[in-house]
Amino acid sequence: MSTNITKTWARTRLPFLVTLRGYFLAPVLAPDAPYLGTLPTLITAALVFMTVSGFVLGIYYNPAHGFASLQFIDRTVNNGWLIHAFHKTGTTMIFGAVYLSLFRAMYTRAYRGVADFVWVLGVVQFILLLLVGYLGYLMANGAVSFWSLSGVTQEAQTFSGLPGAISNWFFGGPAGPGTLARLAVFHTVLALAIFGIVALHNAASRAAAPAPAPGSKAVSFYPYYAAQYFVAFVIFALIFAVLVFFAPHLGENQLNLGPANPLVVPAVTTPPWYLLPITDVSHAFPGAWGGVIGVLGRLAVLLALPWLDRSKPTAHGGGVYRFLVIVLALDVVLLGLVAAAGPSLVTSILAVLLTLYYFLHFLVLTPLVTALEAK
Amino acid sequence: MAEAEVLAHEVEAVIRRDFLKILTAATGAIGVAALAWPFIDALNPDADEQAIAHKIVNVGGIAENTAIAVTWNGLPIYIRKLTTKQIADNQFVVPSTLPDPANYADRVKPGYESFVVVIGLNTGTPCELLGNDPADARGPFDGWTCPCDGSVYDPLGRVRSGPATKNLEIPRFTFLDDTQIQLG
Repeated sequence: MSTNITKTWARTRLPFLVTLRGYFLAPVLAPDAPYLGTLPTLITAALVFMTVSGFVLGIYYNPAHGFASLQFIDRTVNNGWLIHAFHKTGTTMIFGAVYLSLFRAMYTRAYRGVADFVWVLGVVQFILLLLVGYLGYLMANGAVSFWSLSGVTQEAQTFSGLPGAISNWFFGGPAGPGTLARLAVFHTVLALAIFGIVALHNAASRAAAPAPAPGSKAVSFYPYYAAQYFVAFVIFALIFAVLVFFAPHLGENQLNLGPANPLVVPAVTTPPWYLLPITDVSHAFPGAWGGVIGVLGRLAVLLALPWLDRSKPTAHGGGVYRFLVIVLALDVVLLGLVAAAGPSLVTSILAVLLTLYYFLHFLVLTPLVTALEAK
Repeated sequence: MAEAEVLAHEVEAVIRRDFLKILTAATGAIGVAALAWPFIDALNPDADEQAIAHKIVNVGGIAENTAIAVTWNGLPIYIRKLTTKQIADNQFVVPSTLPDPANYADRVKPGYESFVVVIGLNTGTPCELLGNDPADARGPFDGWTCPCDGSVYDPLGRVRSGPATKNLEIPRFTFLDDTQIQLG
C-alpha cells in the first residue's frame, strides 16, 4: 500500500523518474549480448568514482604548489594516498576500457548506418578523456609533466595568428602557478562535461540498436542483464583493486615522481601510457604544425571512419577488413612503444613509418577494401 | 504425497533464493560502506590539524599577578597566576551575590588552584580584555576589564559588573604536570 502511495507521489511530481526507470530496467534486449557490451557502463561507473575521488583531491590540491600539495595529500591527508591512487588508477582503468571499446567497435564495424553518430560521440568522449587525462597529468607538476607543459606553451608561442592566440588564451602564457590554476578548473569542468556526452552516447546507441529479431527469445534487462552487468562490474572492480594496491604507478614515468625543476630536463620525458599512442615524441612530422597534425590528424581520421568505410551497413563478412583492424591495433601499440622508447634515429624512422601506416589504413586501405567488399 | 513434496521443495528453493538475495545485498552494503569511509574520513582534520588542536603551553614561567595570552583554535587564551591576596579575596565570595554564580573551585583545577585559564573575550561585546599586565586597567576587583563596554571581571574571570552577564568561558584543558597544560 505504502509503495503505491510512493509510486503515485513520484509519478505525479516527477514523471521523468518513471521514464528513467523504464529506460534502464524495462528494455527488452537480444538474448546473447556479449560481456564486452558492458564496457560503456563500466566506464561511466569509473567516471563517477573519479568524480568522487577528484572531489576529495580538489579540496586539498593547491595549484600554487601543485607538486607539494600532492605530496601533502599522499603523506598527511587522512587516506589521501589511497584516494590519489584511486584517481590515478581510475585513469588507467577508464582508458583501458575505452581503447578496448574503440577496438571492439572497429572490429565489429559498429559505426555503420545510423550508428555513425554513436561512433562520433564515442570518439568525442575519447578526445575529451585524453584532454582531461593530459590536464590531470600536467596538474601533478612533476619533473616530466612540467616539461611537457613548458614545451606545449612554448610551442603555442611559435604559432602566429589565430592558433597561437587560442593556445595562449587556453594556457594563459608560459607555464606558471596561474597556468596550473586554470588547468585545474578546465580539468574539472571538462571531466564533468563528459557525463553529458555519456548521456547522449547512451541515448544514441539505444536508438541505433537493432530490435530483437521477431521470434527470438528477447529478455528484459532486469534481472537477466542486471546479473551480467553485476558480474562484469565485480571483475572490473577486482582488477581495479589489484592495480590500486599493487601497482599504483602503473604506466607512469617514474621520473614524474620528482618535483618540477625549470633548470633540469629529465632524461626520459614520456607521458603516461594512455597518451602514448597519440604522442608525437619523435616528431614524425617536422615543425610545430607537424606536431599538431600528428596529434589532431590521428583523432580526425577516427572521427571520419563511418564515412571512410564504404560497405553497406548490413553487409556481413569482411574478413580482410577485420585482419586490417588487428594490424592497425598492433600499429597503435607499436606507436606507443616507440613513443615510450624516446627519440633516437631508429625510433624516429619507426615513428614516421608507423604514423604513415596509421593514416594509410584510414585514408586508403579502409575505403579500398570496403569498396571491393561491397562489389 | 508427491505433490506435497514438490511444493515443499519449491518453498525451500524460494527461501534459499531470498536468503542469497539478502546475503548479496548485505555484503554489497558492507562493501560500499567500507569503500565510502576513506572518502568521508579524508575530509576530517588530519594529524597535523589535531596536533594544533591539542596545544601544549608551558606555564612554569608565568610570574605571579600576571597572565600570558596564547592563541588556540583561533581564540585568545589567557593563563593567569594568582597572588595569595587574590586567592584570599575571592575564595569565600558567596556565589549567589554574583551575576553569574560560580564557586572558586568551579573556576580552577584541583591541585592547581593558583592558575586561571579563560578565553580572553568579553562575553558581552566580544573584545579582548585588558588586565594581563599589572599596569593594565584591571578594575576594582584586580581582574580584567573590557575596553569596549566597560564590563568588569575578577581574577577568576567571573563577571562582577555588566553589561556582560556571563563569566569568561573556560576552554577544555588539562595539567600534564606542574608546568605544562594541554589545551583541547
